[in-house]
Amino acid sequence: MEWKDIIPVLAGGLVILVVALVVKPALLAEPVTGPGPTKPVYVPPTPVPAATPFPEDGPAYTRNFRWTAIDGGVHTTEVRVPEALFSKHRETPRFDLLAWGRYALAEEDRPILKDLACRIAPPTGNPEAEYFRLMNVIFFVQQIPYACDDSTDSYTEGVLPRYALHRGAEAEYPRYPTEMLVDGRGDCEDSAILMAGLLDALGYDTVLLKYPGHMVLGIQMDEFNPYYAKYTPKYFDYGGKRYYHVEGTDFAWVNVSPGSTARLGKPLPIGDTGSTTGTPEIIPLRYIPAPAEYRIRPARLPAGGA
Amino acid sequence: MNLKKHLKLPKINVDRRDALVAVLAAAAVISIAFCGWTLFVDYTETSRVAEFSRHVAASEADLFLLSGDISSHMRSRPGRPSIAECDAWMRELGALADYGRGLTSYHRQIIAADVVPEAYTGAQSAYTRALDNLNRAFSLWSSAAGAYDTKAYSAANNNLAGADRAWKDYITAISDYDRELRRAEEGGEG
Repeated sequence: MEWKDIIPVLAGGLVILVVALVVKPALLAEPVTGPGPTKPVYVPPTPVPAATPFPEDGPAYTRNFRWTAIDGGVHTTEVRVPEALFSKHRETPRFDLLAWGRYALAEEDRPILKDLACRIAPPTGNPEAEYFRLMNVIFFVQQIPYACDDSTDSYTEGVLPRYALHRGAEAEYPRYPTEMLVDGRGDCEDSAILMAGLLDALGYDTVLLKYPGHMVLGIQMDEFNPYYAKYTPKYFDYGGKRYYHVEGTDFAWVNVSPGSTARLGKPLPIGDTGSTTGTPEIIPLRYIPAPAEYRIRPARLPAGGA
Repeated sequence: MNLKKHLKLPKINVDRRDALVAVLAAAAVISIAFCGWTLFVDYTETSRVAEFSRHVAASEADLFLLSGDISSHMRSRPGRPSIAECDAWMRELGALADYGRGLTSYHRQIIAADVVPEAYTGAQSAYTRALDNLNRAFSLWSSAAGAYDTKAYSAANNNLAGADRAWKDYITAISDYDRELRRAEEGGEG
């Protein structure tokens, strides 16, 4: 055998190799080199550690409250708020309006609100007394003095908090419930938030009702139409439930006599809108924004496939 | 100038039998080449459709599992949650959105790189469009979870409204894919 006999064999082999390694992959679009995209893996969210409770024996603000209950009796109670908790709230940037329910449900305020709510409206085994418990909480909040957000007298420190929201000449500062308790005053949204926090601690379902320039509480009740009411109770339907309008600030104070500083108050009952008119924006306390569309449609596979 | 004098062309003596054999041989070679080419093209198209089908199947399998996780998460919304539970629910939605975004991007790259027969380009294009829309929806879910985390609920709502629109586009694209696929397959049979 000579070289001229071997060369065609080698050339043939070379052609087969070229066809197998280059031509065929090129024709069938098979990747010859280079890594493909990497398939992602599901990464679960990092759990958030539970907040450290504020020490019971640390420095705290002590505030005393005096209010008239639904039975006409005058009650007093003391509220203790850790200074660290109050400072933490003051140093928290204020939220978007839709997120104001977070103030009412703040986990750190919960034990204080639960304790206070049980003192204002002690638990009772009598279901008929539930209405009086509810009204006592409402009356308690309605009797906390009103103060505008842009008044420095409205704040314990005597100055507007760092995160007060400035809207033109006016300031807006929605307070956590314990902030209002320490300041001892607040405006309509502060009262609605405090009332929501207290009632939620007692198990009531509430929302915030935002009117133009005013905010009140909405309390869920199946039907509320007392025979003695000289008004038509106002309610709004939301999420298949009925929420009744509850004022937090419009406690109708009158002086006992001309020149006297002693005053008598007339609380606004459930459903009485007083001078408030219009249709409010409803802000749920527990808000979980969720997509309406989330179902993935199965797609048919091309015939002759795998 | 007489070319015949200068050019000496070889004399070819071909009898009829040899000519017939040569013609038949040429015809046989052409027939074999034609059949071979047809078979090759057919094999290539079939294997390309099979490859495309395998990639769509892999994508659908992953999306099916993800869909199950999403549906189960949506059902898990607590009735009267604490703020911590609301936050945990949204963080989980964000994690699912990030995974969905990565998954749709991964399958989109693979399927878009498939070289499919011309009849299937419409189906391929519609399917990649579906994955693009799903990817956009998941991106907006992820943004919504981020906005929620900063307590910007209105921004979260806006992102979710955008995601719902992208999701509707995805459903339209899946319907287009189905129609294009049927057209390709009916065209192939015809």
